[in-house]
Amino acid sequence: MEAMLTMLAATPVGPMGPMTLYHYLFVSAALFAIGVIGFLTRRNMIIMFLCTEMMFQAAGLALIAFSRFYLNQTGEVFVIFVLTIAAAEAALALALVVLLFRRKETLDAAEWRQLAG
Amino acid sequence: MQALVNPVWFYILLAVGGLGVALALPRPKVNPQLLGALIAAIGFGGIFLALGIKAYQNEQAPPVFFYIFALIGLGSALRVITHPRPVYAALYFILTILSSSALYLLLQAEFMAFALIIIYAGAILITYLFVIMLATQAPSEDQLEALSEYDRVSREPVVATAVGFILLAVLSTMLARGMNEGMPVKSDQNSDALLAQMPKKVLRGLDEAGLFRSGFERPSMDQLSEVIPDVGTRLNAQKRLVWLTVADEAEVRKSLDDPTFASLFVQRDAMEAEEFVDAVEAYKGQVKNGVTLPVSLPERLVASNIDRVGWALIAQHPMALELAGVILLMAMLGAVVLARKQIELSEAEKIEQSRTLASGPNGPPGGTF
Repeated sequence: MEAMLTMLAATPVGPMGPMTLYHYLFVSAALFAIGVIGFLTRRNMIIMFLCTEMMFQAAGLALIAFSRFYLNQTGEVFVIFVLTIAAAEAALALALVVLLFRRKETLDAAEWRQLAG
Repeated sequence: MQALVNPVWFYILLAVGGLGVALALPRPKVNPQLLGALIAAIGFGGIFLALGIKAYQNEQAPPVFFYIFALIGLGSALRVITHPRPVYAALYFILTILSSSALYLLLQAEFMAFALIIIYAGAILITYLFVIMLATQAPSEDQLEALSEYDRVSREPVVATAVGFILLAVLSTMLARGMNEGMPVKSDQNSDALLAQMPKKVLRGLDEAGLFRSGFERPSMDQLSEVIPDVGTRLNAQKRLVWLTVADEAEVRKSLDDPTFASLFVQRDAMEAEEFVDAVEAYKGQVKNGVTLPVSLPERLVASNIDRVGWALIAQHPMALELAGVILLMAMLGAVVLARKQIELSEAEKIEQSRTLASGPNGPPGGTF
């Protein structure tokens, strides 16, 4: 407990503290794993797309962390494209979901099993 | 290269986290969500505690805000996949976005942090919310609280969680096996070299330092862009020189006593004020339009994050930027085409629809939007 308190006290506050890559990479990996779990378990199509967005987020966080670590802005530029793709995907996927919902009045992904062929 | 976390503890904590997530996923009858959330919090919290202690021992602990926002972000991400109501899940996802944009701020990516809030939380998630509201069956009067079956019951929670956490274990192998990590390497994009590409910013910086109020003529943009390529090479050599024309020698003389002003002159450290004025005299006559003097750029004048991102985007990846625009345009066209598609209704269905419309908001549920 005492060690923890001294740790908190000694922790530099603000963005200028020492940069550790692996902390951010672990958060990114955990976010990605949660997104995967959500995509696999949830049956609501909209939530499934939401989980893919979460995986995009995880990738973006890793890219920004690497970009800061190597002080190279290309990573941030890549995140801009991740945002672009996410926006395009949201527009198209949600339009498709609305169409599918109009057909069957349900958002259950299992209802569309016949699409698998 | 040593392990950042004790591998045995790391995998035990991951398994605990996985157990918690599996318990927290929506289930038909017994729903131990709170217990699951608690166990998952113990698992993730333990890993973060171990990482934090290790970082503290190595004296490279991240700011305490990192832990706060990482835990908020992961907690709300967990809530996104466990909350049975889609609207709440989307709102929790906004919380995840906000906390990851806070992490971006800690990583000094200010532009992306605010772009993320505006684009993701402000635009994309609002679209999601609208679609969730549009594509939800209106509950009948007696069961307003009812949830659809596909929201209440998750699909294969145990197997999916196992897959997810095995993936997480693989992705974070570096924690258990150790990784080579020194301090960040030096940037290939020197701040000064970037400034050399931005004459207006240089001019503004000198303006703010009060240089042009002290008897120096403000160079025109043309003059400055003539000088700037030269500035670039000089800046690269860490000399930080700009050449300026003296307009009013008396004013310069007067301002030399001001330390902040004087620090703008490179030679100021090396020579006394009188010597400097002598140097001004010596320069006179050498240059046609009055006198030019070496001036160092103000210390505060550095390329900011948005300068760097803008430069990387426009100068280094212009083609990719164009492609992103094309992708967005195609997505917009595609969404318009998809949304316009009409469903062919049979005669009976048409009669049913018109009756629904005629009977107003209290009509039978579903069917129209």
